[in-house]
Amino acid sequence: MFKVQCPGLKDKLGFLKNQRKIWIFLFCFFLSFFYLSPLTLYPLLSHCYTSEWKQAIGKWVWEFPRDHGSHPEYKTEWWYFTGNLLDEKGKRYGYQLTFFRHSLKKSPEKTDKNQKSPWTVDDIYLGHFAITDIQNKKFWFTERTSRRGPGLAYAATDRMDIRLLNWNAIMKKNNIFIKARHQDMEIDFELTPIKNIVLHGADGLSMKGERQGQASYYYSLTRLETKGIIKTPLSNKAFKVKGLSWFDHEFGSNQLSPQQEGWDWFSLHLSDGRDLMIYILRKKDGTVEDASSGTLVEKDGSSRHLIRPFINIQILDRWQSTRSKGIYPNGWRIQIPSAQIDLTIYPLLAEQELITDSSTRIIYWEGAVEGKGTSKNRPITATGYIELTGYAGSLGGIF
Amino acid sequence: MKIVIKAFLRYLLRRRSLSILQLSGIACGVAAVIGMAISARSALYSFNEAIEFLRGKATHHIERPAGSMDEVTLMEIKDDPAVDFFSPVIDRRIRAGDGEVVRILGIDPFLDSAIRPEIVRTISKGQSPQENNALYDFLYEENAVLIDNNMAGQLGISSGNTINTNKGAVKVVGTFSNPSGEPLIIMDIGNAQKIFESTGKIDRIDLVLNDETGFRNRWDKGFKIESNKQRRENLTALLRAFKLNLQALSLLALFVGVFLIYNTAMFAVVSRRKDAGIMRGIGVRRSEVFFAFTTEIMLFGIAGGAIGSVFGYILSRILIDILGNTISDLYFFLRPIPLPWSWWNLIAGIALGCGASLLGGITPMIDLVKTEPVSALRGRIYQRTSKNTVKRLSVFGLMIISIGVFFLIFTSAHVYIGFAGTFIFLIGISLTTGLVLMGSIPLLRRFFSYLSGTIGKIAISNIWLNTNRTSIAVAAFMIALSMAIGLSSLIHSFRHSLIWWMNSQLRGDIYISTRSDVDVPLELYEELKNMPGIGGIDVYRNIQITFRDKPVHLTAIDSSVLQRYTNFSWLKGGSENWDPVKKGSVIISESFSRRFRIKEGDKVSIESAKGIVSLPVTGIFHDYSTEHGVIMMDRSTYIDLFNDRTINSLGIFIDVKGEQRQKIIEEVENMAHARGLPTSRQRQFHDRILAVFDNTFAITRSMRTLAIIVAFFGIAGALMTLFVERQQEFGIYRALGFSTKQVAVITLLEGIGMGLISFLMSIFTGSAIAYILIKVINLESFNWTIFFYFSLNPYITAFTTAILASIGASLYPLWKVYRLYPQMQIREE
Repeated sequence: MFKVQCPGLKDKLGFLKNQRKIWIFLFCFFLSFFYLSPLTLYPLLSHCYTSEWKQAIGKWVWEFPRDHGSHPEYKTEWWYFTGNLLDEKGKRYGYQLTFFRHSLKKSPEKTDKNQKSPWTVDDIYLGHFAITDIQNKKFWFTERTSRRGPGLAYAATDRMDIRLLNWNAIMKKNNIFIKARHQDMEIDFELTPIKNIVLHGADGLSMKGERQGQASYYYSLTRLETKGIIKTPLSNKAFKVKGLSWFDHEFGSNQLSPQQEGWDWFSLHLSDGRDLMIYILRKKDGTVEDASSGTLVEKDGSSRHLIRPFINIQILDRWQSTRSKGIYPNGWRIQIPSAQIDLTIYPLLAEQELITDSSTRIIYWEGAVEGKGTSKNRPITATGYIELTGYAGSLGGIF
Repeated sequence: MKIVIKAFLRYLLRRRSLSILQLSGIACGVAAVIGMAISARSALYSFNEAIEFLRGKATHHIERPAGSMDEVTLMEIKDDPAVDFFSPVIDRRIRAGDGEVVRILGIDPFLDSAIRPEIVRTISKGQSPQENNALYDFLYEENAVLIDNNMAGQLGISSGNTINTNKGAVKVVGTFSNPSGEPLIIMDIGNAQKIFESTGKIDRIDLVLNDETGFRNRWDKGFKIESNKQRRENLTALLRAFKLNLQALSLLALFVGVFLIYNTAMFAVVSRRKDAGIMRGIGVRRSEVFFAFTTEIMLFGIAGGAIGSVFGYILSRILIDILGNTISDLYFFLRPIPLPWSWWNLIAGIALGCGASLLGGITPMIDLVKTEPVSALRGRIYQRTSKNTVKRLSVFGLMIISIGVFFLIFTSAHVYIGFAGTFIFLIGISLTTGLVLMGSIPLLRRFFSYLSGTIGKIAISNIWLNTNRTSIAVAAFMIALSMAIGLSSLIHSFRHSLIWWMNSQLRGDIYISTRSDVDVPLELYEELKNMPGIGGIDVYRNIQITFRDKPVHLTAIDSSVLQRYTNFSWLKGGSENWDPVKKGSVIISESFSRRFRIKEGDKVSIESAKGIVSLPVTGIFHDYSTEHGVIMMDRSTYIDLFNDRTINSLGIFIDVKGEQRQKIIEEVENMAHARGLPTSRQRQFHDRILAVFDNTFAITRSMRTLAIIVAFFGIAGALMTLFVERQQEFGIYRALGFSTKQVAVITLLEGIGMGLISFLMSIFTGSAIAYILIKVINLESFNWTIFFYFSLNPYITAFTTAILASIGASLYPLWKVYRLYPQMQIREE
């Protein structure tokens, strides 16, 4: 349970709220990369964290669709899709599809074009893809990594066109088309934004530490109408689904401090049209990082930041994984008095834990959730995604 | 019962030297079998491991029928719905230092982690920051490589060291464990493209497929898709002849080994005839005698088997190296890792020792137990083999020989039938030894009495009088000598056939880049073409393809140049066979023709980059370059079909003579060396091929030596037993007035006589074996004709071996003769 008493700190701490995505990115990056090399990245990142990379300092002049694309002058970048879906019979599904771009180079200097082979490693691209079948209580996850190669992976710099082998996310006009297939898992969705772009932090500059440059540029499309087809290892063929998705895009060149143990992240679509994002960063000493924060997006698309003192979260239940033995929160009461929100949230399936290659021991929980409660004193329901890390072995040490 | 057994065992201590000899006999036999079996198994195991390890988790791979493919193919592969995982691979050879040619794989560690996770994972296995940088170095240092532990151990290098190769120095940034015996170097795909100058190209793509049929339908044109099962079958087929050779040698070892143990055990029983008689005389029951004998034999079997299995294991370590060299020379570089010691070796050794001992001991034992104590008491001296028995046995032997020949006729059904036929034939021959002895005794007696009068006569008569003992020793020795003669004749004929073939086909004055690890750049060829004095250049390109699901070689050559400068040996016709080749038909090697039963006028269908094409066969030529068979076509046909201009090597024919010729050769050499390409002149090239050939037969030669060692123990055991049994006879000789020296000469002459008879028999048997090996076994397993070239050497060697071994085997009895007092010898009478 987190209770913070100083609402006056709102403006000071608001800049910290976006750490969540950076963590997730780095975490996922490690996840993918460490299954090749459990301990490689730390030194890599150490030498990557240099002043040669462009830093997230000052106001970013946003221009779309250009900024949906890649920003290779920054070291890291990610595009993040999650959603809750219903098929024609009313069965529920969840999905997660994430693309990461990370530069392995020590500096952003360009290699001589003439000498450059497509195999030259500038950026590597990573992806995570998960499907949850609520009805059948099944959860499937897969990950992949690729360098640019001869057309294997890339992200356009002038529009959203991200490809990672046969996974991709492409924006055409106002709609985003995402596609991924791995063995018997497949999604092919068209996402139509219902609300405008939400810039987090100060016009999208999302501070994540007190030091200058310890920040990222960050925006979201919090509510996207989703329709398309999905295929799971249990279904023989693809079938139609529709629902709501959430999209995040963030880029920067920064590094995290290693004192955190993990984080809890919530993204919720409320039935009255409001969207809520909360991010809680847990430190190793048991306290909560001041950066923990949230964003509330109203039905009309207007948004406001929720600093940590405004957020009250109580853990209602816990669940122990039989595989990792990690004990995860498994039910929450979220109260945001200033927004008149009072919600009780439960996972749609307890077992949405991702255990990657056993030797790396990186394990986290990310899954579809539902809830009910009141918003503006009216009864509402909610669906969304929650990410829980650092419960089955600390992640801080690895970072 | 215990007393009886103790009495028997005490005898063994008394006759220490005989016991040791007996034990060595069994141990040698077991060692030969175990050694050969373990090394053969290790080699094949390593080979399978190498295939498995390289394959990783891939289910299929796709490549061009010849040459490499454009890397942009990956763009389509990644979107193919049948593909779960894929990994592009550059698969080449590199020469490390001055040493061996090693396989080098260029991979993308990200994509390859799905196929060979254990290799990629090792890049960052370590804990120290230095090791953690391995992946970074691997990707960013242009010459960074990973090598396997075995190789690192052998070269004594670790991370951070550099290795010189024919493609420049490479830096080792990590090592990985490799359970197979094939050394392996791993490089990043981009860097590999650079050092092999094939930017934009990949050699193949390893795949994990979920729908093979669908994938094949989409990719059938211009690509070759091979499942792992096919690949394994192909590679195993590649080793087929080699495997056969190993099996044959293992069988030979088994045969000689069992024979020796049998021989030894039989002598052990026979020589105890008198003791058994005494035992029976003082009231010991038959069953007790039988049991005591069995215990003794089993004890020898167990002890000899155990010692033999340990020796066999040690022997296998030596043989494995030889096998590794052979596989590396002929197929691909492999350092077989010896299988670890297993207690099963011991069990197998003991089982073999006991089994063969029982087999050898059982007949005389039954005979002995049955005999009345009084006649047994007389010892074995009066026991003579009747001429009728000898004749009956020989008739039986002749029947067995005909069965063997019958088998040999049907060798074409399967080469194993040929093996069986050969061994049956040998057993048959050994059964006729008695008859041969009988027939040759008068002649020998005359010869020996001419040499040394009465003494010689006595010696030869002794051989005859003890036929039932001597014939077995003679048979064992004869078989070993025949094997030696047969194998030597095979090697000799093969070698000469090879020389004849080289002289007719490999007639270039100088060859560029005949090694497998370097190709010739096209520019060099263009440059040389215009050089004055050079009459013709044969452009050689060789690829491996599958024909009717079996691996064969496809070779592209310049037919007009070969027609003009070489003198191919055709099964039918002559130089005119080249004419249709220029117009697009193909010629095939004899091995190809026999293997697939394809004749002139037939058509061969091969998968080319243009799809399946059917080409007419217009000639068959002798070839010893590969037992898998060669399809040869003109380079223009090849380029048209496969769109591959790679040149593996060049053969250059120079028109001018004298000093000018020498100058041109040197100039060509300089041009090639400037590009880092190795050259060899005709003589050197031929010598290298012969060296490979000699290497290939190293294992055969060591088996030949082994056979002779085993045979030596056989004849030594026989002589010693004879001596031990007949000590009193020597006493009588002394009492009759023979000098010690004369008695010694009798003993020696007996040994030499047996050796001589063995040799005489082996002249016939050895020649027969040579014929079988060359015309039956070899033809069936390699599908090529070896011409018989007679050589006296194998026979001279066999003769020398026979005489030296029999003299050697007589040494101990001789020493005994001199040492013992005549009185002591006669006292027993």
